[in-house]
Amino acid sequence: MLMAIVGILLWWYTDGWIQTVRSVRLRLAGLFDYFSLDILLKTLFSPFRQISAGTVDGPLPVKFRAFVDRLVSRFVGGIVRLLVLGIGIVSIVVASVVGLGYIFLWAVLPLSPIVGLILSLLGWVPWTIL
Amino acid sequence: MDDSIEWNYHSVRAQKARVSVRLRGTPIRLLRVLAWMLLVFGVALLVLGVAFGWLVLTLAVLPWMVIKWYFGELHHLKSGPGNSVDSLLSGDILGQLPARPTPQDIASAVGSVVSGQFMGVRFGLTPSLLSHIASSEPSDTARVWQEAEHVRSAAHVPHYSGSVMAVALVRSFHDYQHLIAQIHLDDDDLLAGVRWQQHIRDLVTSFSRKKRTGGIARDWAFGYIPLLSRFGQNISQQIQGGDVLAVDVGSHVEAVAQLTQTFGARGRQNAALVGQAGAGKTTIIHAFAQQLLDGDSSVPDSLKFRQVFILDSSALIAAAPGRGELENLIMRILSEAYSAKNIILCLDNAQLFFEEGIGSVNLSNVLQPIIEAGNLRMILSMDEQRYLQIADKNPALINALNRISVTPATQAESMLVMQEKLLQFEPQRSVLYTYQALKEAFRLSERYLHDLGQPGRAIKLLESSANYHESGLVTMNSVQTAIEKTMDVKVSVASDQNDRERLLNLEQLIHERMINQKRAVQVVSDALRRARTGVRNENRPIGTFLFLGPTGVGKTELSKALADVYFGGEGKLIRLDLNEFVRPDDVSRLIADGVRNSGSLTAQVMKQPFSVVLLDEIEKAAPEVLATLLQMLDEGILRDEKNREVSFRDAIIVATSNAGADRIREYIDRGYDVTQFEAQFTDELISSGQFRPEFLNRFDEIVVFTPLTKQDLLKVIDLMIQGVNKTLAPQHITVEVDDDAKLLLVDAGYDPRLGARPMRRVVQKTVENTIAKAMLAGILESGGKLVLRREHIEQSLASRPTQNQ
Repeated sequence: MLMAIVGILLWWYTDGWIQTVRSVRLRLAGLFDYFSLDILLKTLFSPFRQISAGTVDGPLPVKFRAFVDRLVSRFVGGIVRLLVLGIGIVSIVVASVVGLGYIFLWAVLPLSPIVGLILSLLGWVPWTIL
Repeated sequence: MDDSIEWNYHSVRAQKARVSVRLRGTPIRLLRVLAWMLLVFGVALLVLGVAFGWLVLTLAVLPWMVIKWYFGELHHLKSGPGNSVDSLLSGDILGQLPARPTPQDIASAVGSVVSGQFMGVRFGLTPSLLSHIASSEPSDTARVWQEAEHVRSAAHVPHYSGSVMAVALVRSFHDYQHLIAQIHLDDDDLLAGVRWQQHIRDLVTSFSRKKRTGGIARDWAFGYIPLLSRFGQNISQQIQGGDVLAVDVGSHVEAVAQLTQTFGARGRQNAALVGQAGAGKTTIIHAFAQQLLDGDSSVPDSLKFRQVFILDSSALIAAAPGRGELENLIMRILSEAYSAKNIILCLDNAQLFFEEGIGSVNLSNVLQPIIEAGNLRMILSMDEQRYLQIADKNPALINALNRISVTPATQAESMLVMQEKLLQFEPQRSVLYTYQALKEAFRLSERYLHDLGQPGRAIKLLESSANYHESGLVTMNSVQTAIEKTMDVKVSVASDQNDRERLLNLEQLIHERMINQKRAVQVVSDALRRARTGVRNENRPIGTFLFLGPTGVGKTELSKALADVYFGGEGKLIRLDLNEFVRPDDVSRLIADGVRNSGSLTAQVMKQPFSVVLLDEIEKAAPEVLATLLQMLDEGILRDEKNREVSFRDAIIVATSNAGADRIREYIDRGYDVTQFEAQFTDELISSGQFRPEFLNRFDEIVVFTPLTKQDLLKVIDLMIQGVNKTLAPQHITVEVDDDAKLLLVDAGYDPRLGARPMRRVVQKTVENTIAKAMLAGILESGGKLVLRREHIEQSLASRPTQNQ
């Protein structure tokens, strides 16, 4: 029994904690990949879905029209990408805060029964005070 | 004895392993329930304003911590430091062992864990077998540990898994070589099993790893591809959806690397995968597509997340039947692919786009400029023959392609591919394959399936074997049955009691329809017994015999009897009269393609490899024809005009010749026995120039048939009467011939030069005519019996026009 308690606590503050940090990191990396943040930054002002992309040969009005089309496509692409970039960054910030909280909580969790015991003995329940 | 192998029951890892085993299954489920109950109960108390709820709520943390510990550390206990047994032994086995384990204890633990059961199902090293062979003496355990270390280092695996321990237990058995031979295994197979189990474990780990896929905005900078989506197959999407499992073996890795290099560098952006069908060209394309989709792979950024599309030629032709329409459609698709900027277009079976035919169309004039320009990324795949054909017609096109050769896989590679394919087959077909089945599939496919390269042909056989599973298990027998049913051959060693009886009594069975020629019958029977018990060179025909002797002595009859008794019917006789192959250019007729000439030797044997091949009157064949047959006699292989290997290794080759028939009669008349003059007679055939020595040497046996005596002919008559009675059986009429009458028939039909041949004519014209007349006259009716006496025969013979003349 003693071995089991020592084993749990030893693992909890070594490999267990490392695993927790790793899982938070993986979650953040997954979010980063899901929102394609690196790709969005690299292609921020590229034409969206390649509409009107590429060089166009022809008379000046045709070339001008292609230029305008391309400009519109890049503008639309930029707006959509910036929007997704914003959502992605917010999601990652929230996930980071939650992750950091989880890592901290992991460290104090084994002490929670003692805290629970103290609170029980104190008889403190927030809504009864209110 | 290796003293460095230690066992410490009290080590921390061993203690953790025991805790893990105790927690496994129900206890861990109960802890989960307890944690939830405490959580819910605690919250409920707090909601009700009871402060005790804090304690209950926070106590839920304790079972939750145990659960976390179990899955985070105990469930897959990492190897410990050092090389002691308790450091390297798999935790699920370690936790079950007592302080002084016996091999029996180890066997029992191995039989209860997944990696140990793997060896039971795949290799036949079942828990009961392991328990049966394991000793119950604690002193024998050291040897098991030693063997485990030997297996671990030989198989290059990190720890003593259940599979390592199962093999170690087997190897600790005193007569283990005999034991594993009985289940068709050897030492290398056992090591392959350990590596296979480790490979599956690694695969599971790799699949559970989260991969970078590019995310939602991955393709936003690339174009729409509505036409391509309609006429092509998106391989990348299939892989992403988990539909395709790409394999990763040595020979393919190199080709994938070459593809990456070709498309990653500047230069013509195309590659031609050239290799036999079944060699893995499509698999390489899948593996390449998979690598491009893996954000963590080392492919250049210019290739990352590019999508591979396979163009469907039949869908294109169906959608645009007109010539101009099709070219227009192709141009639009290619233009779409180019504009999209993230497409790698693949023309699987590329010859379909470069030749006119059913389901194919020549689009060289559209595709060639694009391939030559090298701007659009394209992969073409085709077999060597088609590549050469295109090279012949259009060398400029071939010069524009970057060729990547795909060689057929080796046995080891094919086994790996098959093992990975099982991950797809087994859930689909609800079966499990044994390792022996895989090995047999490779061996038999090498031998009987010739149109595909490896590993394709072994996989094809493996797939069809699933239909012959035994209680959900695909075994070596299932594979043998599959090939026997599909190819109409017999590959299994005779094990059935009837089969054994038949083989042991072959001579008797053949003599039921053959008179005399005991030596010839003996020689061929021996050859068949050798073949069916596996005691023969498998790289040669079952038997090659040259039957020499006068006409009508039973040479052809013995071949027919063989086909009937052994191969299951006279239909299994492939007969070629070589007097029709007397000119040098007749060789082409002998090895003609089956499409052009279904009667050629190669075409017939390709259709029916398990047969008696009878080459009649071989002495009359042109020397060029005989030279062509040499390889067939020697190695059991003949190449047809399309250079395909045709196997004669399951056939009995019988060549017959009348050469020297007069000399044989002379020897017999002078009172010699066959065995006395056989060797001398063969020398005479060589010295007289009738046969070349290298040709005669190719035969397993040269058998001299002796002329039939009058006594023999009496027995021949009995066989013929039996035949007549068999014909009349549906009419319930029987015929008997008196002994006197038989003697008369023999006198009338005996001709030492022609053997039994005239006898058949005499029986036909006497016995059969008499029966026919009796039936017409109403003397002989259904259920009746006709006894032919000497006078009947005399009457018939007297009325024979030929006799009278």
